[in-house]
Amino acid sequence: MQKILYEYPEGSSYDELLTAAGRPRAVARAVLEHFERLGPEALRQRQETADTAIRAMGITFTVYSEAGNIDRSWPFDIVPRTMSAREWSHIEAGLQQRLKALNHFIDDIYNEQRVFADNVFPREILEGSRNFRAACRGVHPRFGAWANICGTDLVRDADGKMYVLEDNLRVPSGVSYMLENRAIMKRLFPEIFAMCSILPVDDYPAQLASMLGDLSPRPSDKPVIAVLTPGIYNSAYFEHSYLAQQMGAYLAEGTDFFVDSEDRVFLRTISGLLQVDVIYRRVDDDFLDPEVFREDSVIGISGLMRAWKRGTVGIANAPGTGVADDKVVYAFVPDFIRYYLKEEPILPNVPTYLCMREKDREYVLAHLDELVVKPANESGGYGMLIGPRASVEERQRFAERIREDPRNYIAQPTLALSTAPTLVGDHLEPRHLDMRPFILQAKDSYVTTGGLTRVAMNAGSLVVNSSQGGGSKDTWIVEEDD
Amino acid sequence: MLSRVAENLYWMARYLERTEDLGRFINSATMLLLDLPLGTRFGWDILLQITGEAERFQQYYGQPTEKAIMRFLIADSRNPSSLLSCVHQARENCRTFRDLLPGEFWERINSLFLYVQDGLEKEDVAEDRRARLDFLENVIARRHALVGLLVGSMSQNPAYQFIKLGRNLERADMGSRIIDVVSAVIPPEDQGLRKTVYQSLWVGVLRAMSALEMYRQHVGVQIRSGRAVEFLLRDSKCPRSVRSCLADMELGLAYLPNAGIPAEALRRTRRRLDQLQLKELTPAVLHEYLDQVQKDLGVLHRSIENAYFRVREERDPYPHPSSQRIALQA
Repeated sequence: MQKILYEYPEGSSYDELLTAAGRPRAVARAVLEHFERLGPEALRQRQETADTAIRAMGITFTVYSEAGNIDRSWPFDIVPRTMSAREWSHIEAGLQQRLKALNHFIDDIYNEQRVFADNVFPREILEGSRNFRAACRGVHPRFGAWANICGTDLVRDADGKMYVLEDNLRVPSGVSYMLENRAIMKRLFPEIFAMCSILPVDDYPAQLASMLGDLSPRPSDKPVIAVLTPGIYNSAYFEHSYLAQQMGAYLAEGTDFFVDSEDRVFLRTISGLLQVDVIYRRVDDDFLDPEVFREDSVIGISGLMRAWKRGTVGIANAPGTGVADDKVVYAFVPDFIRYYLKEEPILPNVPTYLCMREKDREYVLAHLDELVVKPANESGGYGMLIGPRASVEERQRFAERIREDPRNYIAQPTLALSTAPTLVGDHLEPRHLDMRPFILQAKDSYVTTGGLTRVAMNAGSLVVNSSQGGGSKDTWIVEEDD
Repeated sequence: MLSRVAENLYWMARYLERTEDLGRFINSATMLLLDLPLGTRFGWDILLQITGEAERFQQYYGQPTEKAIMRFLIADSRNPSSLLSCVHQARENCRTFRDLLPGEFWERINSLFLYVQDGLEKEDVAEDRRARLDFLENVIARRHALVGLLVGSMSQNPAYQFIKLGRNLERADMGSRIIDVVSAVIPPEDQGLRKTVYQSLWVGVLRAMSALEMYRQHVGVQIRSGRAVEFLLRDSKCPRSVRSCLADMELGLAYLPNAGIPAEALRRTRRRLDQLQLKELTPAVLHEYLDQVQKDLGVLHRSIENAYFRVREERDPYPHPSSQRIALQA
């Protein structure tokens, strides 16, 4: 047999598919043995087929600065990331619990603000929040659900434990890649799907459509749903168009909408004006409505906030939801779970130092070479300091920034993100990865089966973001025979 | 269907049609000039007149040499009617409605764009006539494949009707311009030109409009200017004639809502075409008429724009889909 598996490096990260002894874990046995049987040449060919399929299916993300050819394929690795259904159901429950608590928190912040009175969350944090929207005070979205769609990033540390790294509550993206990755894998390896019980993922668009339908203010079994996209130059345009198509929704831009004097939202269509019930917006709060937020926004809908507050249209995620998409707020989520739900958190947070707290700050500044420092409000892996890999000057620069604006920085220990075998040429090498499941909440709550596994394609790299050299894998939740 | 999407479909179809028409005309002119005696009035600048871009050309280039004109018409992104610009625009428009068309359409239009972009980088189509002929023939073939894909797999839905409207309006527009310019520069049959040259000029024109074989079948082997003009304007069977373009648009509008005003504009244009007395047509009257056709097509374009792309706020909203169904059930 030709050896395609790598020698497992000693004392390193937890591997999702292999034990420390280099043997396949139970959930990964079928796929790894099959790969061994296929051998390096066949694997290389299937990887090529996958790359061709991705180009042909037009699965792309957009790179901002490149004029001309703005579509880029996102690297896809044919070795799946596996996880047992038993472990997954534990995570699933933890994710639902978490989003429920977050929604209680957002609803509280914009209404009674009990959380301050009860000393669970300091008022100063809210005051320093860039994403708190005063315009949303006093609004009651249906089911008390502000964050209807959440993408939560999970990582596994060297101890084998899964941690929540962050909750993306604004306009999380990536779910279309999860769906397309599975479609590709079923084309590439139908034989493995026949061999073991891999749970399906493709009910997401239907679940999303039904969740959005629940937000409709007009009782009807066929609500008019529109996906609001910033347009073709947005990096996630492919996903906007994909989801609209899968849901049978309109894919619309700001200029396609019109809000009348009675605060109803319409789409301009070839048959005239069509009233819209629910908007799945993929535009940030700042740009959502020039009447209320940034005046210079050309991708928003003038008057949308009037309509939403009057209750003529549902918006997912609700404006203002971003207040909880903040790495300082993140640190309090376990407290929110205890406070609002009277439950113990099922999933742990990564230990987090808040630089706004004097003691934490001193610790962070003294241990910059061990910690990862992140700004509270950035996404996409921008503006981070990975202490152990940074130069002395970089660390000094960050120390200054932290002293200047402590509210805006948090720090976490550097995790040894878990790895999975990844095809490099004709053999497998370990690459670090994370996992982003998507959670829906309105009348009901739903979690994707698994999620999107993002992988750092460069050896040793911990950065999995698509904008910075990351790729993705299919995620298999596998039912084991007992 | 969203107004913006309808508009993008319409313009994509116009740009693709323009791409083919331009490619055809350039190739035809290149072939033709090889046959002409030196010093004939038929020069390269006729291409600038037909595309209506003579002024812009003056702005960027000096002498209307073959090389300059070819660069301007094919590869210059500053010219919004250049082949490169048209293909680029068609592709960008297509991004916004990939879900409405057959899956392969996007891949093919993308590959057409890449072919044009790469081709223009590799070959000097302005100077090298042989490379140019090959290049344009490939562009035309790829455009045909796009049309074939749509004809073979699109339902008669609104998306397809907007494509049909765009394609035919552009074709009628380009066709009437070609007839206008050409009949002004090709002298009447009995004046000066040798018969073979005269014939080959009209063969070139008909070929440029992809109508040569159909002309021979419907009219005859001998080509005379009056008959050719009548064929290109009024033949009811050849899909390249202005009359056929109008008829196709009429069919398209019949599938669309709110078609009253554009349909009226269409009928007016068609009536004028029917009433035209082609028998005693002097070049001056023909020119005047073709000028009117251009104006009519402009009015038609604006009426389509107002009916579908610029939906005004004061118009009544149409009923909610579910209330409509309840009304039907009641």
